Amino acid sequence: MADETFDAVIIGSGAGGAPIAHALVRAGKRVLVLEKGPLFHAQHTSPDGLSDFKRDEEFATGAEKVLRVPGVANTGVSFYSSHVEPDLNDEPHVYREKDGRDLATIEGYTAQVVGGGTQLYGGVSLRFAPDDFRLCTVNQGRADLRDDPNGDVAREARDWPFGYDELEPWYCVAEDLVGINGTRDGQLKPASADHYQKPLEPNSISSHVAVGMDALGLRRYRTPLAVITEDHLPSGRTVPLDRESIKTAFVNRYGDPLGLKSNTWVSLLHPISTEPGFELRANCAVTHLSATDSRVTAVHYRDPLGRSRTVSGTVVVVACSAIESVRLLHLSAELDPAFGQRINGNDLLGRYFLTHCFGGASARVPGRHDKSRTLDSDWATDACAAPEFVRANNLWAGGAIYNNTSDSALPISMARTWAANDMDTMWKGYLYDLDMRGDGFDGYLNENFGRQLSVAFMANQVPLPTNRITLHPSVRDKWNRPVAHIDKGWHSHDVAVMTVLAEQCRRILAAGGDGVQVIGHGHVGNDVRRIANHVLGGARFGSDPRDSVLDPDCRAWRFDNLYVTDGSFMPTSGGANPTLTIQANAFRVGDLLTTRV
Amino acid sequence: MPVVQVPRDDQYVLNHTTRFLARDVGEVAEPFHLPVVDTHWDGASAEVSYRFNDVTFVHRDDQAREVGVVGTFGELHTPVPLRQVRFLGEPTGLWAVTVRVGKGQVHRYRFAVDGRSVLDPVNPQRQRCDNGREWSRFFTHGCAVPISFDRWELRLLDRLVTQVLPFQLAENRRFLDDFYHRLSRSERDRQFPLAFLMDESVGVVNFIDKLLAREERHNLDDYKTCLRLIDGVLRARFPGREPAELGRQAFMDLYDELAANAVPGWDTGQYGEPRYFLVLLRRHAMTGAFAHPKHGGNNGAAAWAYLAERFEFDWRSALEAPLGRNTDYRG
Ligand SMILES: Cc1cc2nc3c(=O)[nH]c(=O)nc-3n(C[C@H](O)[C@H](O)[C@H](O)COP(=O)(O)OP(=O)(O)OC[C@H]3O[C@@H](n4cnc5c(N)ncnc54)[C@H](O)[C@@H]3O)c2cc1C
Repeated sequence: MADETFDAVIIGSGAGGAPIAHALVRAGKRVLVLEKGPLFHAQHTSPDGLSDFKRDEEFATGAEKVLRVPGVANTGVSFYSSHVEPDLNDEPHVYREKDGRDLATIEGYTAQVVGGGTQLYGGVSLRFAPDDFRLCTVNQGRADLRDDPNGDVAREARDWPFGYDELEPWYCVAEDLVGINGTRDGQLKPASADHYQKPLEPNSISSHVAVGMDALGLRRYRTPLAVITEDHLPSGRTVPLDRESIKTAFVNRYGDPLGLKSNTWVSLLHPISTEPGFELRANCAVTHLSATDSRVTAVHYRDPLGRSRTVSGTVVVVACSAIESVRLLHLSAELDPAFGQRINGNDLLGRYFLTHCFGGASARVPGRHDKSRTLDSDWATDACAAPEFVRANNLWAGGAIYNNTSDSALPISMARTWAANDMDTMWKGYLYDLDMRGDGFDGYLNENFGRQLSVAFMANQVPLPTNRITLHPSVRDKWNRPVAHIDKGWHSHDVAVMTVLAEQCRRILAAGGDGVQVIGHGHVGNDVRRIANHVLGGARFGSDPRDSVLDPDCRAWRFDNLYVTDGSFMPTSGGANPTLTIQANAFRVGDLLTTRV
Repeated sequence: MPVVQVPRDDQYVLNHTTRFLARDVGEVAEPFHLPVVDTHWDGASAEVSYRFNDVTFVHRDDQAREVGVVGTFGELHTPVPLRQVRFLGEPTGLWAVTVRVGKGQVHRYRFAVDGRSVLDPVNPQRQRCDNGREWSRFFTHGCAVPISFDRWELRLLDRLVTQVLPFQLAENRRFLDDFYHRLSRSERDRQFPLAFLMDESVGVVNFIDKLLAREERHNLDDYKTCLRLIDGVLRARFPGREPAELGRQAFMDLYDELAANAVPGWDTGQYGEPRYFLVLLRRHAMTGAFAHPKHGGNNGAAAWAYLAERFEFDWRSALEAPLGRNTDYRG
């Protein structure tokens, strides 16, 4: 049987995995974390005092690489990935376009490193709103929803198996242990404890957003960000003497060499790394699970040089991020029909895959601001998550709105993202604007450098059974296993949600003061591949085994010891960035598990 | 010079190599990552540390009993031994050693495996010596020694790059002049041995030279072909003149023709889309000018200093001393 046994084997060290490891090790359990990516250190966790992350634009969006995946329509295109994104040629995700063509996504998918997506994330750490947990209930009997002629929303909306109040204490735990700065006042999300650290001074460019939100009567608060601004007792991290130097613009898409960004390695795993019960094996990719009846008996993985090894755990927690977790379960099912019958007897595994309704507006402001001194966001508002707003606009759910400050803050990133809305259009706007040279280039810098401001929204996507993760019939990864194949479309009501919220973002900027010139507003409703770094659903939890993959404890219904705790458990995607909720839920499950192992 | 070894642990070696090496199918991914060239930190001084890189040599061989590396970074006849890299207490078949090497250098090396001399089978960079012997090659941060291009190519490229970048404007040129004038002559020669390349293009050409030697080797042929074609086009247009010494207008016209994808005299049989080359050059010029100076462009952070002077851009507070003034971040 397995080479070694542990109380818990946790697969994936990101938002869904690390809190469980933390809870179990603190309770004295023996835990093994298997992580596919490397252990990239912050300076203070590194044996040689150096970080593997750098303040270097080439690390976020590097040199040109060429997609060589055979059998997809975009073979041969260029892409520019981060140094900790999975190698897209070795392990692509393939999306099916509306026209039926298959495209390897070049938007990356979170990050492959200890800490997972939380190493690169912007750190925007909003709670979901109370109504996000009961979207079935609040939409019953409504006939007023825009662009929902067949009543899909009422049919497909689901309540979570518990409400906001039950998760609330775990939000508090997460905010405390992860380390988050922000302000509470003005939020629509009640809190029983305030563990926020004090935010730093906002970047001066954000004053336009404050003015705009105030002018429209939208209550605002300082965006909660997973970056410590004060010494953080739970993780033992300390801040630099000059606290303002924490603001660097190397935030979103950058790992933090100083470990001030609260990724799960520095905040949750490194603090338990000296405990005898904790073991982390980086550079180890799990290939499949095997089970005897209702017990997962072995976790099969490749060690750093590719040798096959196995371990077993009293419990096994899958937290590979939604697409990869679903894929791992599908791959295990493919090798053992009995496993497949248990995990996917109701044909729901991989269905109800979700991202977020996402979009926003951008503007050019009259003055110039030094955007090199910033974190990812300064101001947020929950006004568009309020039930009154949602009802008044004939929507099923609302969303959060916040401004971005680190976008276009650095010169190369400004050029790369010029007229480019995402990773696959990266560079194109600038490069093909061939008049932009000499004087033209100087004019472009003069007009835009330190003057670009954007506001974004994040809202629920309608869950649909046709949005789905399966195994690709022909494309394989470097271990010769089928890669994930993703079908995803937007519901017409999603487009309505996005249109309404993008307009709100536009209005905020338009009201942002004299001379603010709105450049554009829009959303991702015309592209199925957006937004590949918020991947959720596909193994949703619920209280009815016929309607869900996981039970309310995130345990697979027909297994005794198999849990899934990354973003895939979500039955709806929430009206905010997902990570804090993934973490809060993982702390909740971690606590449950302390009594089960 | 005795080689200074740096204690980087096995976890470091695995972190920086296995993703590329370990697999069941396909080739080693992104082989240019080897050897690993990284920041050096002596545990005390940013100023001293800044002069060096850590270079980690990695060789995979699960049969070998002994692996060493010899190269121009140390004594050519005394191999530096590599140790076995372990995982869970067992040998992985990887061998590694980390040595300290000065910045701005190019070196050749070979592995010695049980007494046999072998090239690094992963690193695609190779160099043939005058005696015909082939070596593996690496270069450290901020290297200004030409690798990919000949001198005429560098000069021609420099003229092209100045068509893309802002630094040719009178106002900006004044700034650049001021910036470089602050350096002493000897300091300039030491830091910028190819000073003729950077008057207007702040080292972009050197950045491209390095990028094409490593991360973007796949674009080297485009440059070689297009520079030859451009050289030919300009020689035909201006008989008896050195293309790199032509006036500004000649290059402005050429830019417009490349942009229009119609360059009179261009042999499309050799290179179909001249505009494609211009787009490539634009990306490289922009990146080279504003990327961290360790990549070979943005000499002395001149382009950042330019942004700071013209606009507001406090790059120094984030970046490692002594380049910037952040003493918490070590680069
Ligand atoms: C650039 C960027 C910005 C973002 N900004 C924000 C933000 O501001 N706010 C926010 O809330 N969210 C943000 N996100 C999203 C956030 O990162 C994710 O929501 C979050 O990390 C998801 O948590 P997870 O546990 O589902 O997966 P992850 O955190 O990605 O963890 C999964 C881990 O599992 C590992 N793994 C995968 N397969 C295997 C395998 N077979 N064996 C072993 N290990 C495996 C992966 O390498 C990874 O480390 C951002 C993401 C990106 C990329």
